[in-house]
Amino acid sequence: MTFLNPLLLLGVLGIGLPILAHLINRQRIKRTDWAAMQFLDRSVRVRSRQLRLRDLILLLMRCLAVLLLVLALARPATNSADVSWMPGEERAGVIIALDASFSMQHSDGKATRFERAIEKARIISEHIQPGDPVSLVLLGGEHRVVLRNVAYNAHRFAEVLSEQQAAAEPLDLDSVPKRLEALVQDMDALQKEVYIVTDTQAHDWGRLSSPFQDALRVLGQEASVFLVPVVGSDENLAVTGMDLVSGALRKGSIARYRATVHNYGKSPVSGVEVRCRVEGVQIDSRQIPLIPPGSSETVSLFVPFYNAGPARITAEISGDALATDNVRRAVAEVRDRVSVLCVDGSTGDAGRLIRSALLARADGAEDEDFVVQSVQWPDFPAGDLGQIDVVILADVPEITQEQASQLSRYVRQGNGLVWFAGDTVKASKWNELSGEGDNALLPASLGMVVDASDNLGVGKPLDPSMPDHTVCRPLLSLPEDLLSETRFLKRLQVEPADTSFLVMSLAGSHSPILLEHSLGRGHVFMFTTSAHTTWNNMAQTPVFPMLMQQIVTYLTGREFEQPRIVGDSLTLSYAKQPDAIDAVFDTPSKQTITVPVRQHRNGYVALLEKSREAGFYVARVSVQSPGMPIAVNVITQESDVACVTTAALLESLEGTGITVSATAADLSADINTARTGRSFWRFFMLAGLAVLVIESLFADRILARNQSRRDQASPLPQHGEVA
Amino acid sequence: MSGHLPQTNYLDPELLQRLGDLELVAREVVEGLRVGSHRSPLRGLSTEFAHHRQYAPGDALRTIDWRVYGRTDRYYTKLYEAETNFDCHLLIDASSSMNYASGKVSKLEYAKFLAASLAYVVLKQRDSVGLSVFDSEVRTYLPPRSAMGIILEIDRSLRDIKPTPKTSLAKQLHDIALMMKRRSVVVVISDLLSDVDDILAGLDHLHFDGHSVVVLHTLDPYELKFPFAGTWRFEGLEGEEPLTTQPQRIREDYLKNLTEYMDSLRAGCVAAHIDYLTVDTSRPLDVVLSEFFNERQSTLAGPSVGAR
Repeated sequence: MTFLNPLLLLGVLGIGLPILAHLINRQRIKRTDWAAMQFLDRSVRVRSRQLRLRDLILLLMRCLAVLLLVLALARPATNSADVSWMPGEERAGVIIALDASFSMQHSDGKATRFERAIEKARIISEHIQPGDPVSLVLLGGEHRVVLRNVAYNAHRFAEVLSEQQAAAEPLDLDSVPKRLEALVQDMDALQKEVYIVTDTQAHDWGRLSSPFQDALRVLGQEASVFLVPVVGSDENLAVTGMDLVSGALRKGSIARYRATVHNYGKSPVSGVEVRCRVEGVQIDSRQIPLIPPGSSETVSLFVPFYNAGPARITAEISGDALATDNVRRAVAEVRDRVSVLCVDGSTGDAGRLIRSALLARADGAEDEDFVVQSVQWPDFPAGDLGQIDVVILADVPEITQEQASQLSRYVRQGNGLVWFAGDTVKASKWNELSGEGDNALLPASLGMVVDASDNLGVGKPLDPSMPDHTVCRPLLSLPEDLLSETRFLKRLQVEPADTSFLVMSLAGSHSPILLEHSLGRGHVFMFTTSAHTTWNNMAQTPVFPMLMQQIVTYLTGREFEQPRIVGDSLTLSYAKQPDAIDAVFDTPSKQTITVPVRQHRNGYVALLEKSREAGFYVARVSVQSPGMPIAVNVITQESDVACVTTAALLESLEGTGITVSATAADLSADINTARTGRSFWRFFMLAGLAVLVIESLFADRILARNQSRRDQASPLPQHGEVA
Repeated sequence: MSGHLPQTNYLDPELLQRLGDLELVAREVVEGLRVGSHRSPLRGLSTEFAHHRQYAPGDALRTIDWRVYGRTDRYYTKLYEAETNFDCHLLIDASSSMNYASGKVSKLEYAKFLAASLAYVVLKQRDSVGLSVFDSEVRTYLPPRSAMGIILEIDRSLRDIKPTPKTSLAKQLHDIALMMKRRSVVVVISDLLSDVDDILAGLDHLHFDGHSVVVLHTLDPYELKFPFAGTWRFEGLEGEEPLTTQPQRIREDYLKNLTEYMDSLRAGCVAAHIDYLTVDTSRPLDVVLSEFFNERQSTLAGPSVGAR
């Protein structure tokens, strides 16, 4: 037998109190000579002995009552069958862990997996005794403890259970055993039971890692662990991507987005309609004739922007068993106009080539809202660059300290800078004034001009190092031979900073051609080559206009245009200290979260640590401010809803000591079999109270009898007591 | 243990104990008491005429009233009432049990005061007082005499004695009865802690010998009321087995036994025409004596029983 509150056993020392009182009473015997001993005759002596016996009985009863009450408070319990004769109660502390990842929202037509998991939890709860400790935890990307060690109340528990919903986040299965182990250790119960109710997705449970199995084994040593699968069909379609491919995010222009639909099921799906909506209005629709099982299909969606401002764009499919992953979201910050300042420091026509590339249009029409201003290096404006969205420095020999500060401030405010190498560039000057570390204006320190041509005197081709980068994405749609026609003869040797990353390089050498780094809220692109034809033939190919226009589109975009995944943090950056001390985030479910604005590096940031819903959040600098939408999508991995079979599950869990209860009947039977813990505290408490009552009645009876005898047989006037 | 006594009472036993001189004690107690005259139990030897009775053969010729014969020609003898020659014999129990005292005055000391006071009263009337002190044996026997020195003898006898447990009260009373030559008033001062039948047998002997017996049953207030609280060990003064108990819980049994004992004793005395009085040693002596004499006078015709 063990005690759940063993420290309270120290209360057994309380038995000493009545014994001590008894002994003290006996020690304080007063002595007197006595003449009338003949009246203390045999009957009196017998009665005196009876009184001593009664006192002893009362003492024993008091000691017994103290002992029983102390034992009850120490909460005795046992798993042993040897004491099954004792009137104990079958008790256990229960932890129910419900998988609340969004795959649990997959429906079989009647009920979702989560609803069936709730039903399993109800079955488990029917075996919990009132007052037993119970914990309820929702498993997901971050496990949420809904109830922790609360005394079980059937009505309240059912209420709480019915209020729970699956979240739009994936299941972080690896952290589950540790989390449950912590809950188990936090629970005071003789027998502890853990029920994991999950859909046992194949990508999670199909290949259990050794550390995970070890963690389950450890958990199984501390509690009886039951895995309760709620499986369903494997069929699921999901929109797994929607990206801007090309086009400018400018009023009056049309951008091309690419939506990807994946078939996670085992059957081909035909006639999948992908609809594109902007601000809730359907503006495009594409039909995918057939998606084979396990394959993805992409469709292009053309999105015209009629108004300036942020635009919420969605790609949706319908008629699917799991609705959560049927939508993919993006946000486009549509501008009224884009203004580019091209500063040309070369003696040649690098600036002209860049300007031509920026203004080149497929239909040849002029774009009034896309302004490219070209100035020579000495005419670099010293004043405010507030009207300029992107500054391009082409072959600029050097800059002054003031200009370096001006450009750094300009970028930090959220604008873009594109730097081109050239023949006149003074590397040492740039290195001196560009600065170092996180505050450096350029993403790399400059070196010498090196030859990039091969043995044949032909330059090396271009290689997009980051194919998923917005800048590289349209290039991938070009024919491969067209891309390989772009050749580089010279380049500037550079030493990239730690904060920069390589966007494009020379094929086969990883020599940087295009580097990027962030500075404040803005970005800086650095070409290690020039636009001039003596360095490369880039300006003579379709690559250059696509690249430059995509760079400008990318640089004029806003950080919140980048889609986030559920669980990511959301930030709102400020160039200057805002008036309001708090920023506001509106969740897709219309809740408002207030977040304090904190200083971060050289700026100010409001950070929402974790996004929990899929949809469009709205970030506001204050409650009254216009909102800036942020798209938050579900993680695609969770869309693979295929479940492992019970046999495969048993094989995976072999040796971990975990019981798999596939059906409701199995679950009830397994609980009854495993639950051997019996608690005796109630028995001891009742016994202790009963002994106290009997002792009290016994003592009262003796007192009453004495009083009665006193009243009946008092031959002489009462005398005052003597101390 | 005399807290209930009036503080202004100069005759309370504790104050008398401090006086030391027993004669002075007796005088203090007795002076002021209204002492009534005692009628002699012996008639015919006095000079005071009582009434006539017809002559019967055997009567002394000198008792014939010749004047009456001259007037009536019949023989009548004159009967007289004796007024003195009253003997009082004081029997003091000096056994171990009499040494018990819940306060400062033991039963024996109280008995001493009581005996001295009675002796003083008797001697003041020119009557004679005798003294017997006994425990397991008769320790002292002084025949009646009318000198005040008897009071000092009481003190001396009781001081010299080394109390021993009494075995049989009847035996001592028998022995004393054999020693007494004349019929007299016998005052037994004792706690009578013995077998009731034994006690009554002894008293009966005295009574059958023609003595007028008065029993002053002297008990300590604690013996009467048993007011102990807490746990006590009672150690018998006469060698009984000690008893450790909680007295307040056995008080009813004790008082029941005491009551039965006293009722038996009282009933036995009534049956044997013996005056019986219970004397609480916490009460002032003068009050006890005053009430005793008043009672005795009013019940002169027969034995009386009362508690003092």
